[in-house]
Amino acid sequence: MRRALVQLGYFVRTALRGLRSSPVTSAVSVVTIGVSLVLVGAFALLLWNMEGLLDRFGDSLYVTAYLEEGRPVEDRRALVEIVATVEGVERVRVVSKREALERFQAGVGRGSALLEGLDENPLPASLEITLLPERRSAEGLRVVVESLEGLPGISDLASGQDWVEGYLRAVALVRAVGLGLSVILALATLLIVTNTIRLAVLARRDEIEILTLVGASRTFVAIPFVMEGLVQGAAGGVAAVLLLLGLFRLVLPGFEFGMEFLLGGVTPRFFSVGEIAALVGGGAGLGLFGSAAALTGGWKA
Amino acid sequence: MYHVSKAYAAGSFALRDISLELRRGEFVFLTGPSGAGKTSLLKLLFSAEEPTEGQIVVLGRNIVRLGPAAIPRLRRRIGVVFQDFKLLPRRTVEENVALSLEVVGTPPRVTRAKVFAMLKQLGLQHRRYHHPLSLSGGEQQRVAIARALVNEPEILLADEPTGNLDPDLTLEIMGLIASAATRGTTVVVATHELDLVSRYGKRIVRLDAGCVLDDTPAPGDGA
Ligand SMILES: Nc1ncnc2c1ncn2[C@@H]1O[C@H](COP(=O)(O)OP(=O)(O)OP(=O)(O)O)[C@@H](O)[C@H]1O
Ligand SMILES: [Mg+2]
Repeated sequence: MRRALVQLGYFVRTALRGLRSSPVTSAVSVVTIGVSLVLVGAFALLLWNMEGLLDRFGDSLYVTAYLEEGRPVEDRRALVEIVATVEGVERVRVVSKREALERFQAGVGRGSALLEGLDENPLPASLEITLLPERRSAEGLRVVVESLEGLPGISDLASGQDWVEGYLRAVALVRAVGLGLSVILALATLLIVTNTIRLAVLARRDEIEILTLVGASRTFVAIPFVMEGLVQGAAGGVAAVLLLLGLFRLVLPGFEFGMEFLLGGVTPRFFSVGEIAALVGGGAGLGLFGSAAALTGGWKA
Repeated sequence: MYHVSKAYAAGSFALRDISLELRRGEFVFLTGPSGAGKTSLLKLLFSAEEPTEGQIVVLGRNIVRLGPAAIPRLRRRIGVVFQDFKLLPRRTVEENVALSLEVVGTPPRVTRAKVFAMLKQLGLQHRRYHHPLSLSGGEQQRVAIARALVNEPEILLADEPTGNLDPDLTLEIMGLIASAATRGTTVVVATHELDLVSRYGKRIVRLDAGCVLDDTPAPGDGA
């Protein structure tokens, strides 16, 4: 235990010495890892915010069935009962003509003058059909809409189906592009970091040789290098998080319109503490693997 | 102590079928003209080179079949003074000497104390924060000796340890190395300075062109 601590002290000192003695190499690794994490992080933010929007708006995903005018009340009551038994339906709520008008006026505000000239309320009564939580998707909407089609007393059906489908497709696209990009970036970063550290290893070949001649094991020689990689990676991760936070705070407000379109006016969310830790940890992992790869490849060189 | 019998080559033989045996705590001079194979022989003993043929037993282990993990463990028990010193240019004198203690995980406080005592013995304590390249050849050589001795090795291999020293210092350093031998360390000193060799009355192994020319035991020693 004591010996392990003593050696840890030596490793930390040696790693710090290494970082100090090759600031350019270190900077290249930090920047490489930082840049790729910024790109991956930006995609992750976009994706998670888009997915988050779906979750939050899932509650208000419902099918509206407009009722034919002039049907007896008993018919309507029977219809409500039938609709309630359709698979995937959670709840049915009747929106009367008056309620529809009130909603319309509340929604339009001062523009309600639009309807004032009319004697009669032109808005139809409707059924607001909420789906079971597990059915709140484009597919779930489609199934319910199909079951309701052609039921007597329903004049028209409306749902957010098209919108949801489009949005889901967009989310899937962002996810695929982000995932592909992440894999490519991780590989590219690993390659660059590996070669950068390999240069550092080559530059210190004499040192490594002498260490082995006085009885240092491979692990003993390697650990400071791996620690350097770890520190560089973590630094890249921290830099990426700070940069993303800066962009998030300063640049996003300038694109309100675009965000409005993508996120439907929901306040975008930044990373949670756990996600920040994951990003920094990912950087550290890249640095670690990069240096380990550099060493296993670099011994014979 | 070790039974050595090998031929070493990179196409041509640097050492030809050599057999030697050293007892624990013995002091041996290895002499011969330049290119005789002195350095090559020492390299074989701490597994810096592998023999082309033959077996080498060091500290009770056949080092020819040593695995990659066992070589560092062997080297930690052997102090080596390299002909070209092999000091780390970017580390101070103190750090260079400390290296052989750090690889065995000695606590920093103990390391500092031992390194300081060692440097003082060699008259280098005022140089401990200097870098090797700012030292004279003789000073660098003494740093190399300090690094080899500071860990109280069981075997000391010294390749021309007095090559850059003036006569007074040579005497002092040889005294230091000899005292290591009296404490039980097996010492092999490779040198071509014949008057140095004859002055000490120790066992002398003469090499020439990779062969043992003769092996003169120390006077008054039955071996
Ligand atoms: N790494 C090597 N590869 C090929 N040949 C080598 C190598 N090292 C040494 N030799 C050859 O082995 C022979 C013996 O060399 P060695 O260094 O052992 O001599 P030495 O007795 O130490 O000489 P010196 O007194 O000059 O140090 C020389 O002919 C040399 O050219
Ligand atoms: Mg030599």
